[in-house]
Amino acid sequence: VAKTSLTSPPWPEVKLPDPVEEAKYHAEVVQKVNNMVAMGQYGRLFAVVHFASKQWKITSEDLIMMDNVMEAECGDRIQMEKVLLVGADNFTLIGRPLLGKELVRVEATVIEKTESWPKINMRFWKRHNYQRKRIIMNPQTVLRINSIEIFPCLS
Amino acid sequence: MVLLSAQRWVRSRLTDRFWRVQEVLKYARHFRGRKNRCYKLAVRNVRRAFVKATKARREKKRSLRALWITRIEAASLEHGLKYSPFISNLHKSQVELNRKMIADLAIYEPKTFKSLAALAQRRRQEGILAALGDGKEPEGIFSRIVQHY
Repeated sequence: VAKTSLTSPPWPEVKLPDPVEEAKYHAEVVQKVNNMVAMGQYGRLFAVVHFASKQWKITSEDLIMMDNVMEAECGDRIQMEKVLLVGADNFTLIGRPLLGKELVRVEATVIEKTESWPKINMRFWKRHNYQRKRIIMNPQTVLRINSIEIFPCLS
Repeated sequence: MVLLSAQRWVRSRLTDRFWRVQEVLKYARHFRGRKNRCYKLAVRNVRRAFVKATKARREKKRSLRALWITRIEAASLEHGLKYSPFISNLHKSQVELNRKMIADLAIYEPKTFKSLAALAQRRRQEGILAALGDGKEPEGIFSRIVQHY
Protein backbone atom coordinates (compact mmCIF):
# COMPACT_ATOMS: atom_id res chain seq x y z
CA VAL A 1 0.00 0.00 0.00
CA ALA A 2 1.37 3.45 -0.87
CA LYS A 3 2.56 5.61 2.01
CA THR A 4 0.56 8.79 2.55
CA SER A 5 0.99 11.56 5.06
CA LEU A 6 -1.45 9.83 7.41
CA THR A 7 -0.06 6.24 7.37
CA SER A 8 2.19 6.80 10.34
CA PRO A 9 1.48 9.17 13.26
CA PRO A 10 3.16 12.60 13.08
CA TRP A 11 5.18 12.04 16.26
CA PRO A 12 8.49 10.11 15.99
CA GLU A 13 8.18 6.41 16.75
CA VAL A 14 9.74 5.55 20.12
CA LYS A 15 11.19 2.14 20.85
CA LEU A 16 12.35 1.17 24.31
CA PRO A 17 15.23 -1.33 24.61
CA ASP A 18 14.55 -4.94 25.59
CA PRO A 19 13.76 -5.12 29.35
CA VAL A 20 15.76 -8.35 29.97
CA GLU A 21 18.90 -7.08 28.27
CA GLU A 22 18.42 -3.72 29.95
CA ALA A 23 18.22 -5.36 33.39
CA LYS A 24 21.51 -7.19 32.68
CA TYR A 25 23.17 -3.95 31.54
CA HIS A 26 21.92 -2.11 34.64
CA ALA A 27 23.26 -4.86 36.96
CA GLU A 28 26.66 -4.68 35.20
CA VAL A 29 26.85 -0.90 35.60
CA VAL A 30 25.86 -1.08 39.27
CA GLN A 31 28.55 -3.77 39.85
CA LYS A 32 31.20 -1.61 38.17
CA VAL A 33 30.30 1.48 40.22
CA ASN A 34 30.26 -0.60 43.43
CA ASN A 35 33.76 -1.89 42.61
CA MET A 36 35.01 1.61 41.90
CA VAL A 37 33.64 2.86 45.21
CA ALA A 38 35.12 -0.13 47.06
CA MET A 39 38.56 0.38 45.49
CA GLY A 40 38.42 4.09 46.18
CA GLN A 41 39.00 5.08 42.53
CA TYR A 42 37.37 8.47 42.83
CA GLY A 43 38.86 11.92 43.27
CA ARG A 44 36.99 14.76 44.92
CA LEU A 45 33.33 14.05 45.75
CA PHE A 46 30.59 16.66 45.56
CA ALA A 47 27.13 16.32 47.10
CA VAL A 48 23.82 18.16 46.87
CA VAL A 49 22.40 18.46 50.37
CA HIS A 50 19.03 19.82 51.52
CA PHE A 51 19.81 21.89 54.63
CA ALA A 52 18.09 24.85 56.33
CA SER A 53 15.31 24.65 53.71
CA LYS A 54 17.80 25.30 50.92
CA GLN A 55 19.79 23.05 48.59
CA TRP A 56 23.56 23.39 48.61
CA LYS A 57 26.21 21.93 46.30
CA ILE A 58 29.09 21.12 48.65
CA THR A 59 32.52 19.46 48.62
CA SER A 60 34.90 18.84 51.49
CA GLU A 61 36.61 21.89 53.10
CA ASP A 62 33.64 24.06 52.07
CA LEU A 63 32.20 26.97 54.06
CA ILE A 64 28.41 27.36 54.30
CA MET A 65 26.49 30.24 55.86
CA MET A 66 22.86 29.82 56.89
CA ASP A 67 20.62 32.76 57.67
CA ASN A 68 19.18 31.44 60.96
CA VAL A 69 20.22 30.03 64.34
CA MET A 70 21.48 26.53 64.88
CA GLU A 71 20.85 24.83 68.25
CA ALA A 72 24.38 23.47 68.41
CA GLU A 73 27.41 25.01 70.06
CA CYS A 74 30.49 26.17 68.14
CA GLY A 75 32.74 23.21 67.47
CA ASP A 76 29.96 20.58 67.37
CA ARG A 77 30.12 17.95 64.64
CA ILE A 78 26.94 17.56 62.61
CA GLN A 79 25.90 14.90 60.11
CA MET A 80 23.69 16.12 57.26
CA GLU A 81 21.15 13.45 56.44
CA LYS A 82 19.13 14.74 53.48
CA VAL A 83 21.52 14.06 50.60
CA LEU A 84 19.95 14.40 47.13
CA LEU A 85 22.90 13.68 44.83
CA VAL A 86 26.51 12.52 45.15
CA GLY A 87 28.97 12.68 42.30
CA ALA A 88 32.58 12.16 41.38
CA ASP A 89 34.41 12.46 38.10
CA ASN A 90 33.25 9.18 36.54
CA PHE A 91 29.92 8.40 38.23
CA THR A 92 26.94 10.12 39.86
CA LEU A 93 24.47 8.70 42.35
CA ILE A 94 21.06 10.39 41.97
CA GLY A 95 18.66 9.99 44.86
CA ARG A 96 14.92 9.46 44.31
CA PRO A 97 14.50 11.83 46.10
CA LEU A 98 17.02 11.10 48.88
CA LEU A 99 20.03 8.78 49.13
CA GLY A 100 20.29 6.32 51.99
CA LYS A 101 22.27 7.00 55.15
CA GLU A 102 24.24 3.75 54.62
CA LEU A 103 25.45 5.07 51.25
CA VAL A 104 26.61 8.60 52.01
CA ARG A 105 27.94 10.38 55.09
CA VAL A 106 28.36 14.17 55.13
CA GLU A 107 30.00 15.67 58.22
CA ALA A 108 30.17 19.34 59.13
CA THR A 109 31.33 21.48 62.08
CA VAL A 110 29.74 24.66 63.41
CA ILE A 111 32.39 27.38 63.26
CA GLU A 112 30.78 30.72 63.93
CA LYS A 113 27.48 32.17 65.12
CA THR A 114 27.12 35.87 64.30
CA GLU A 115 24.59 38.44 63.17
CA SER A 116 24.34 39.74 59.62
CA TRP A 117 25.26 43.29 58.58
CA PRO A 118 22.51 45.81 59.47
CA LYS A 119 19.98 45.68 56.64
CA ILE A 120 17.70 48.70 56.34
CA ASN A 121 13.98 48.29 55.62
CA MET A 122 12.45 51.60 54.60
CA ARG A 123 8.91 52.46 53.51
CA PHE A 124 8.06 55.86 52.09
CA TRP A 125 4.95 57.34 50.48
CA LYS A 126 5.53 60.66 48.79
CA ARG A 127 3.40 63.67 49.65
CA HIS A 128 1.84 61.79 52.60
CA ASN A 129 4.46 62.47 55.27
CA TYR A 130 4.87 58.72 55.82
CA GLN A 131 8.22 57.08 56.31
CA ARG A 132 9.25 54.11 58.45
CA LYS A 133 12.81 52.91 58.91
CA ARG A 134 13.71 49.57 60.49
CA ILE A 135 17.15 47.99 60.90
CA ILE A 136 17.21 44.19 60.73
CA MET A 137 20.16 42.02 61.75
CA ASN A 138 19.55 38.30 61.12
CA PRO A 139 21.42 35.69 63.13
CA GLN A 140 23.77 33.66 60.94
CA THR A 141 25.70 30.41 61.40
CA VAL A 142 28.83 29.39 59.53
CA LEU A 143 29.54 25.70 58.99
CA ARG A 144 32.60 23.98 57.55
CA ILE A 145 32.00 20.72 55.62
CA ASN A 146 34.64 18.33 56.90
CA SER A 147 34.18 15.30 54.65
CA ILE A 148 31.88 13.44 52.29
CA GLU A 149 32.21 9.63 52.34
CA ILE A 150 30.47 6.96 50.28
CA PHE A 151 30.27 3.24 51.08
CA PRO A 152 29.91 0.39 48.54
CA CYS A 153 26.43 -0.85 49.37
CA LEU A 154 24.74 -0.47 45.99
CA SER A 155 22.49 -3.25 44.69
CA MET B 1 20.71 66.89 80.27
CA VAL B 2 18.39 67.59 83.17
CA LEU B 3 17.45 71.26 83.11
CA LEU B 4 15.18 72.10 86.03
CA SER B 5 13.98 75.60 85.11
CA ALA B 6 12.46 77.16 81.97
CA GLN B 7 15.20 79.75 81.52
CA ARG B 8 17.80 76.99 81.25
CA TRP B 9 15.75 75.05 78.62
CA VAL B 10 15.62 77.95 76.19
CA ARG B 11 19.39 78.35 76.30
CA SER B 12 20.29 74.76 75.31
CA ARG B 13 21.60 74.46 71.76
CA LEU B 14 21.98 71.43 69.49
CA THR B 15 25.59 70.25 69.82
CA ASP B 16 25.72 67.04 67.75
CA ARG B 17 24.31 68.33 64.49
CA PHE B 18 27.54 67.30 62.72
CA TRP B 19 27.15 63.65 63.67
CA ARG B 20 23.46 63.53 62.83
CA VAL B 21 24.29 64.87 59.36
CA GLN B 22 27.19 62.43 58.94
CA GLU B 23 24.90 59.50 59.76
CA VAL B 24 22.95 60.29 56.59
CA LEU B 25 25.87 61.36 54.42
CA LYS B 26 27.81 58.15 55.08
CA TYR B 27 25.21 56.27 53.02
CA ALA B 28 25.53 58.81 50.19
CA ARG B 29 29.30 58.88 49.74
CA HIS B 30 29.26 56.74 46.59
CA PHE B 31 26.61 58.82 44.82
CA ARG B 32 27.31 61.01 41.81
CA GLY B 33 27.20 64.79 41.85
CA ARG B 34 26.27 67.18 44.65
CA LYS B 35 24.09 64.63 46.40
CA ASN B 36 27.15 63.01 47.92
CA ARG B 37 28.09 66.25 49.70
CA CYS B 38 25.03 68.43 50.32
CA TYR B 39 22.75 67.25 53.11
CA LYS B 40 19.49 68.53 51.68
CA LEU B 41 19.96 66.66 48.40
CA ALA B 42 21.50 63.64 50.11
CA VAL B 43 18.56 63.08 52.47
CA ARG B 44 16.11 62.66 49.61
CA ASN B 45 18.37 60.38 47.62
CA VAL B 46 19.38 58.21 50.57
CA ARG B 47 15.70 57.71 51.37
CA ARG B 48 15.05 56.62 47.75
CA ALA B 49 18.05 54.31 47.89
CA PHE B 50 16.75 52.57 51.02
CA VAL B 51 13.25 52.15 49.58
CA LYS B 52 14.66 50.77 46.32
CA ALA B 53 16.87 48.33 48.23
CA THR B 54 13.88 47.10 50.22
CA LYS B 55 11.82 46.47 47.10
CA ALA B 56 14.77 44.95 45.24
CA ARG B 57 15.26 42.35 47.95
CA ARG B 58 11.81 40.97 47.05
CA GLU B 59 12.45 41.22 43.32
CA LYS B 60 15.82 39.47 43.59
CA LYS B 61 14.18 36.12 44.28
CA ARG B 62 12.03 36.42 41.16
CA SER B 63 14.82 37.54 38.85
CA LEU B 64 17.24 34.86 40.06
CA ARG B 65 14.62 32.17 39.43
CA ALA B 66 14.10 33.49 35.88
CA LEU B 67 17.87 33.43 35.35
CA TRP B 68 18.11 29.82 36.50
CA ILE B 69 15.25 28.81 34.21
CA THR B 70 16.96 30.48 31.24
CA ARG B 71 20.21 28.67 31.99
CA ILE B 72 18.50 25.29 32.39
CA GLU B 73 16.65 25.84 29.11
CA ALA B 74 19.92 26.59 27.30
CA ALA B 75 21.70 23.57 28.79
CA SER B 76 18.86 21.15 28.11
CA LEU B 77 18.56 22.35 24.50
CA GLU B 78 22.20 21.34 24.06
CA HIS B 79 21.10 17.82 24.96
CA GLY B 80 18.03 17.87 22.73
CA LEU B 81 15.31 18.59 25.29
CA LYS B 82 13.27 21.67 26.02
CA TYR B 83 12.88 23.11 29.53
CA SER B 84 9.26 22.00 30.12
CA PRO B 85 9.68 18.26 29.35
CA PHE B 86 13.02 18.28 31.20
CA ILE B 87 11.63 19.67 34.44
CA SER B 88 8.32 17.78 34.30
CA ASN B 89 9.97 14.41 33.64
CA LEU B 90 12.58 14.96 36.34
CA HIS B 91 9.76 15.68 38.76
CA LYS B 92 7.87 12.56 37.67
CA SER B 93 11.03 10.50 38.28
CA GLN B 94 11.00 11.76 41.89
CA VAL B 95 14.21 13.80 41.57
CA GLU B 96 13.68 16.84 43.80
CA LEU B 97 16.55 19.10 42.76
CA ASN B 98 15.52 22.74 42.57
CA ARG B 99 16.28 25.07 39.69
CA LYS B 100 19.23 26.73 41.41
CA MET B 101 20.97 23.36 41.83
CA ILE B 102 20.21 22.16 38.30
CA ALA B 103 21.58 25.44 36.91
CA ASP B 104 24.75 25.09 39.03
CA LEU B 105 25.18 21.48 37.96
CA ALA B 106 24.75 22.48 34.31
CA ILE B 107 27.58 25.00 34.69
CA TYR B 108 30.05 23.10 36.86
CA GLU B 109 29.18 19.39 36.38
CA PRO B 110 28.34 18.84 32.70
CA LYS B 111 28.49 15.04 32.91
CA THR B 112 25.98 14.97 35.76
CA PHE B 113 23.67 17.27 33.81
CA LYS B 114 23.94 14.99 30.79
CA SER B 115 22.86 12.01 32.89
CA LEU B 116 19.91 14.03 34.27
CA ALA B 117 18.88 14.93 30.71
CA ALA B 118 19.10 11.26 29.67
CA LEU B 119 16.94 10.29 32.67
CA ALA B 120 14.33 12.90 31.71
CA GLN B 121 14.38 11.77 28.07
CA ARG B 122 13.87 8.13 29.03
CA ARG B 123 11.01 8.98 31.39
CA ARG B 124 9.43 11.06 28.62
CA GLN B 125 9.54 8.16 26.17
CA GLU B 126 8.03 5.80 28.73
CA GLY B 127 5.28 8.33 29.39
CA ILE B 128 4.49 8.70 25.68
CA LEU B 129 4.34 4.94 25.20
CA ALA B 130 2.10 4.53 28.23
CA ALA B 131 -0.22 7.21 26.89
CA LEU B 132 -0.37 5.71 23.39
CA GLY B 133 -1.54 2.35 24.68
CA ASP B 134 -1.70 -0.89 22.67
CA GLY B 135 -3.04 0.55 19.45
CA LYS B 136 -6.30 -1.49 19.69
CA GLU B 137 -9.84 -0.14 19.65
CA PRO B 138 -11.43 0.19 23.11
CA GLU B 139 -14.18 -2.42 23.81
CA GLY B 140 -17.90 -1.74 23.69
CA ILE B 141 -17.57 1.43 21.62
CA PHE B 142 -18.96 2.04 18.16
CA SER B 143 -16.22 2.75 15.65
CA ARG B 144 -16.73 4.52 12.37
CA ILE B 145 -16.73 1.25 10.43
CA VAL B 146 -19.99 -0.55 11.29
CA GLN B 147 -19.76 -4.34 10.84
CA HIS B 148 -23.06 -5.76 9.51
CA TYR B 149 -23.60 -9.39 10.45
